[in-house]
Amino acid sequence: MKIAGRLKKEKPPHLHSGFTKNELMLKTFLFMCIIGFASIIVMGADAFVHILVALGTALVVHATINSYQTWKGVEPTYSSPASVLVAGMIVALAMPIASPFEITAGVSLLTVLVFKYGQGRFFKRKYLNPAAAAKVLLLGLLSVMYIIEEPLKEGMIFHPHHYDYNFMSAEGFEASMWIFSRESIFGAELSATQSLLFWQTHGWIGGGSSIVVLIVGIVAAYLLKYKWRIIVSTILTMTVLSAAIGLYLGCDPILRIAFHVFTGSVIFFTFFMATEPQTTPMTHGGQYAFGVCLAILTFVLQLYNVLGGSIIALVLLNIFTDKFDLLLIKKPFGHGKEVRT
Amino acid sequence: MKGERTFREKGGFEMDISMKAGAEKKPFKFIDIPDIVTICLQQHIGKPNHPIVKEGDMVKTGQKIGDAKCRMVVPIHSSVTGYVEDLKEVYNPVLNRKEKAVIIRRDGNDEMKYLPEYDLDRRKEIVKMVKEAGIVGLGGAAFPTHVKLSSQGIKKLVINAKESDPNLVCDVRLMIDKPAEIVKGIKLMARSLDTDEIIFATRTEEGQIPELERIMKEHGIKVVRVRPSYSVGAEKLLIKEMFGIEVPSGKFPPDVGVVVNNVSTAYAVYRAAYKKEPLLSRGASFYSDLTGIENIWFRNGTSIRQVIEGLGLDIDRFDRIVIGSLMMGWSVGSSDAPLLKYSAGVTALTPEYSKPYEKQLPCIRCGYCDLVCPVDIYPSLIMKAEKADDVKALKRYNVLDCIECSLCSYVCPSQIKLTKHLWQGKNKVNK
Ligand code: SF4
Ligand code: SF4
Repeated sequence: MKIAGRLKKEKPPHLHSGFTKNELMLKTFLFMCIIGFASIIVMGADAFVHILVALGTALVVHATINSYQTWKGVEPTYSSPASVLVAGMIVALAMPIASPFEITAGVSLLTVLVFKYGQGRFFKRKYLNPAAAAKVLLLGLLSVMYIIEEPLKEGMIFHPHHYDYNFMSAEGFEASMWIFSRESIFGAELSATQSLLFWQTHGWIGGGSSIVVLIVGIVAAYLLKYKWRIIVSTILTMTVLSAAIGLYLGCDPILRIAFHVFTGSVIFFTFFMATEPQTTPMTHGGQYAFGVCLAILTFVLQLYNVLGGSIIALVLLNIFTDKFDLLLIKKPFGHGKEVRT
Repeated sequence: MKGERTFREKGGFEMDISMKAGAEKKPFKFIDIPDIVTICLQQHIGKPNHPIVKEGDMVKTGQKIGDAKCRMVVPIHSSVTGYVEDLKEVYNPVLNRKEKAVIIRRDGNDEMKYLPEYDLDRRKEIVKMVKEAGIVGLGGAAFPTHVKLSSQGIKKLVINAKESDPNLVCDVRLMIDKPAEIVKGIKLMARSLDTDEIIFATRTEEGQIPELERIMKEHGIKVVRVRPSYSVGAEKLLIKEMFGIEVPSGKFPPDVGVVVNNVSTAYAVYRAAYKKEPLLSRGASFYSDLTGIENIWFRNGTSIRQVIEGLGLDIDRFDRIVIGSLMMGWSVGSSDAPLLKYSAGVTALTPEYSKPYEKQLPCIRCGYCDLVCPVDIYPSLIMKAEKADDVKALKRYNVLDCIECSLCSYVCPSQIKLTKHLWQGKNKVNK
């Protein structure tokens, strides 16, 4: 029993909403599980294995560090595996389905060990999106070996055969769309646009069904209050840029929009990676500007056939996040607005 | 507000106010007049009072014991009859620092020293009476009411009966108990401001307090039902909500022709005018996670211990006691701390209450705090600037506009107490 009359002195507030970081992470993970499930249906068992590999690796790294910290008598960095599960799931959903499983495991390991635990430990906070940075680092290294025989098998970012496509001309763009035109659902042939929206059996695992990502993403962003300004400005800028280039080059603008917004999946990336809280701007103006820059950079890299261009763009912009926080600071209550009496 | 369980805040966040549900039905429990009271000399915003009694003096209930010749001073009165036992520094639970106080021991009587007669038809006399009665804003702000009531060019008088704090219902209880008296107090306030436009801002539902509504109607007082939100209880935000007027930063409601007063303050004005009583006692809400809300009535200077024991509770069950709002008040270090004129609430919490939310984690930059902030500033960036002693950034992110509502800390998933950094940030800018 405490000494009568002596009480704990605490600063306000003495109430809390009850919504914690672990809950936020766990719910994000559950939303991504829906996307993962849709991708398994579209892409098959390989997608399932990639998810298992990424999650398994992430959990093993987390459990090892956690046990080490406990053994050393240090308070564990993450009391719950929720945020590690999110990182693992993002890795899985951001890998190309053609990627070898060991590459997925490698990206997952780097993500959790170096860019999640490591960044937090040495820089006090994360500056680079962990999954994006890990993927850029590993796949960038592998891409150096672009001269090798079967580059896809090495999980490269630069797929040499993609260089044959010329997205800067209507013919080149339309010729490249054969990849999507091959798709069919239960025997029904899909056009390239339909495939990009509903059913992509290659590309990023998270992009198996763009429509599912779109719906789940909107619901998650609304309920969990993601930085929606980044999502909106990225998608709008991409849409405007792709429609403009479609019209300028004389190709179908709808197909062009579908390609630039849904290939990959850029859409999964926009909802679940570009909004990663720690590595993105806080000010609302900064978030809009970040989204616009992200879309422009991604678009340019897409035009040059750089697969994973969105991820490179994100990592590049992450470096300038603090600068974005200086942009367009909203006027607070009572500043500069007309007063009527 | 019948059975209302949540407030909705900016950014779509919800605040649990289930502790309030139905508590307005509980009548006031009168806390016994204590044998000894500790009356802090400064119980208002402004310049300090000086003691006008000395050790050993006999004082009556209602006798002035502290005053000073200054407009921004509100005199202070003895809340009991007895003798001055001591004049010493004690902990002021609201200002969170030591203040001079008069300790008075009761002699068993309760002999009243009434206020003199005032001509209630004259504006200046009403203001004088309000000052002499020691009336301050009873919503928790403690701004001298006579200063508000002497404002010029006022078009609207708003009575704030919104009682937004999640742990308070005493104003609504008072509205049920004393409707006619409240309206009389309001009319006097309006007379002193020379305005006929009176707006009664409440979150009670139509028909919930029929007697009050009937009297308001008879007196042409407009009742506005304000949407259920915690932040809208703040004066400037209430004005914006009701009239679309944004009080400029650094200015006050009278600068836009509006005066806002709390409903309990109106009742205190009534008592001063018609009962000749200075402000000696008030209604408040007591909340504990063991009992829920109880409405209490106490004399100024009663200690927290006397309230808790007066309610039949064991003080040793609690490890945290908060005076005023659960969102904005500090918890006190000693249960012997006295209650003040503007202590609208007392909350006693057991160790189990806060256990799940005690650990602060690093900021994850989720932006929830920015979304919920009712004055549109960036608490997380201010916290970062404050930690780095970056005064330029503190100004850039408008730290001085923070109204210290604590909503940012309330929603923070990392359970960071941002309010501390906001205070410190303000201090650094003001240095
Ligand atoms: S709500 Fe908390 S965790 Fe989120 S940005 Fe604000 S301070 Fe950081
Ligand atoms: S305490 Fe200040 S910064 Fe935090 S929500 Fe309230 S006004 Fe905004």
